Amino acid sequence: MARNRKYQSAAIRFGPSLKAFLLCLLIGGSGVGYVWQKDQISQLGQQIKKREQYLDELGKQNEKLRKQFAEMRSPRFLERRIQELGLGLVPPQPAQVWRLTEPSREVSRQDGEQQYATPHQVGTEPKG
Amino acid sequence: MAKKLQYRRLVLLALLLGAAFVGLGYRLVDLQVLRYEELSAKARDNTRKEFLLEPRRGDIVDAKGNILATSAFVKTVCADPALIGNRQVEVARAIAPLLQASESELVQRLAPRLGQNAQGVIITNHYVVLKRKVPAETWQKVQMAMTNLSFGLDEKKLPRAERRFYRDLRRGAIYVERFDDQQRVYPNQALAAHVLGYVGMNERKMDGRPLLETSGKDGIEQSFDAKLTGVRGWRLTEIDRPGREVVALREQDVEPQDGLNVVLTIDSVVQHIVESALAEGMDKHSPNSISGIVVRPRTGEILALATLPNYDPNNPGNASEDARRNRVIADVAEPGSTFKIVVVSGALNDGVVRRSDTFDCEHGRFHFAGRILHDHESYGVLSVESIITKSSNIGAAKIGIKMGESRLYDYIRNYGFGTPTGLPLQGEVGGIVHPVKKWSKVSIAQIPMGQGIAVTSLQMIMTMSAIANKGVLMRPMLVDRLEDRDHIVRAKYSPQRVHQVISEAAAEQMVTALKTVVSPEGTGAKAIIAHYTAAGKTGTAQKSGGPAGYLPGKYYASFIGFFPADNPQVCISVVMDDPKHGYYGGQIAAPVFKQIAEKVANYLNIRPEDGEVPPPSNIAAPADDRPVRTAAARTPVKTIQ
Repeated sequence: MARNRKYQSAAIRFGPSLKAFLLCLLIGGSGVGYVWQKDQISQLGQQIKKREQYLDELGKQNEKLRKQFAEMRSPRFLERRIQELGLGLVPPQPAQVWRLTEPSREVSRQDGEQQYATPHQVGTEPKG
Repeated sequence: MAKKLQYRRLVLLALLLGAAFVGLGYRLVDLQVLRYEELSAKARDNTRKEFLLEPRRGDIVDAKGNILATSAFVKTVCADPALIGNRQVEVARAIAPLLQASESELVQRLAPRLGQNAQGVIITNHYVVLKRKVPAETWQKVQMAMTNLSFGLDEKKLPRAERRFYRDLRRGAIYVERFDDQQRVYPNQALAAHVLGYVGMNERKMDGRPLLETSGKDGIEQSFDAKLTGVRGWRLTEIDRPGREVVALREQDVEPQDGLNVVLTIDSVVQHIVESALAEGMDKHSPNSISGIVVRPRTGEILALATLPNYDPNNPGNASEDARRNRVIADVAEPGSTFKIVVVSGALNDGVVRRSDTFDCEHGRFHFAGRILHDHESYGVLSVESIITKSSNIGAAKIGIKMGESRLYDYIRNYGFGTPTGLPLQGEVGGIVHPVKKWSKVSIAQIPMGQGIAVTSLQMIMTMSAIANKGVLMRPMLVDRLEDRDHIVRAKYSPQRVHQVISEAAAEQMVTALKTVVSPEGTGAKAIIAHYTAAGKTGTAQKSGGPAGYLPGKYYASFIGFFPADNPQVCISVVMDDPKHGYYGGQIAAPVFKQIAEKVANYLNIRPEDGEVPPPSNIAAPADDRPVRTAAARTPVKTIQ
């Protein structure tokens, strides 16, 4: 007894208990974590599916609108609408078109004149 | 004693438990080892599913990006007659108006059919197609109608089995195919129908069920079918008990590769201009058919290609075979006087004649090789240029005779007659060009005036384009490029030069001569365009056929021309087959040319040749006295040239 008292061998040994507890916690935690992860995967899978369906739906709507847009841009449709709305649009006659000669770069730029645009920006339309 | 009894009981129990464990062990080995392959395959079949992912068929667009053909995903509505029992009438009544189908026909289809399977067991059919190509919106309405379907019963009071029957009927009796089908849509209806072509269906089996695939049957749809179709994808995955996909267990997921878009050289506005003008020509002269082509001579790009009667590719089955035929490339005919450009340009190129050389046109009657050749008017001595201006058959025949059979044949072949031009459309023919050894004595006089040879309208316009293009023959071009959905170019087609047929100098002389045709003195006076100098040639050919060789009173009338004559931007051909009111090309085809040319010049903003015209102070009012509302009327259009 005296020896036990001296070395306190009868005292509660926390080490093994703690180890056992941690082991249980690890096993239990792993199990819960595994289930949680599986649940997350499943939920993400459902979200992916929903988004895929939504994307598909948007794609189909887009197709529908593209088709509608194409129909509305067709020459026949436009011609019919012009007649229906009585716009009286006719092609411009050559006399109604002003054709401007593009000024050459050297002529347009005076000495000391500040250039506000890079050379390729001068002239908004290509020649032709 | 008691101990012995207990011992016996213990042994018995041990034996029983042992036997049970042996039995379980055997079952385990049986399931896991002996029948492993069979059962694992069965389990896989129950959960694993392979879905095919359909690619979207590429669009066909015009040069400006306007959609000419596109695809929409649609459903195939099916029924499970086994789930409908004897309630066909109610179901048919609910869905027939939505599917636009006959109620009685649906009742027949919904009736269960009995059959025997391989084991001899009598089974009911579970699959019948009610309607194909059903838009998604219509399918939603069908679903709604089925959910709200009433049978006039208080179903709560029915036995459990009957309640389940009605629930299953509403939920699963009408369903759609797992794979979406595609419907080809042509938003412009008949516009450029002969270029676009149409699609049809091919049936093949998939999981024992018929699967319909879209494929091109004519036109660009057929020629570029492989590019338009795309590549199918697939998804290998697992499903749960109600049949929903478990996304987390997807094993393979390969996206489909959509088909490429085909960008044509056709301009839908030019095409519309041509088709409208042809329709007016059709109304006015009632020909069997009328065709028009617009080509850029320098590149061979086809801006418009039309022939009437045409058809709506959305419903090709409603059109006759005649209307579906692309006459521009599939029909051959004797070209008549338009063919004179071949012999005269060849003779000028060889130096056999000069533009100022003269020929006696025999006052309209020329005896040659036992035959009498005629002109439509009596001409005396005409220069080579005048032979073109007046379209003298005798003059052209004499130039041909002077040139010789061999050289004439060479030029005919060099201009591409006798072989298809290579347009990417099915059904193009090369025409009929007999070799010199098969020519009769009179052939050398007949061929220069466009008889004894058969050509397509496309070949003729490409020949005229070659003359406009300084003697260089170009390959006709219908497809500019292939691009993907993001408009990234995957293939680009460049203009292809075939070869130089005549020299630049000879081509210039021809243009000078052809300009005189479109003048008050020429046969093409009605093709004169305001603000532009045009060059062209009229053609009037008798239709071949019948015992006499030609059909009396039946003609081909044509006009082929280009403008501005000295800087050709477009070449236009108009051909009428058997017009009923008038038949001279210069009288009936030339005005159609003029109508097309004026509108095309305006649309393409081709610079007028008669110099700058100052903008008028007052804009002329249109016929109905409404003010003209053009962009130019409000603010002059400023075009930098």
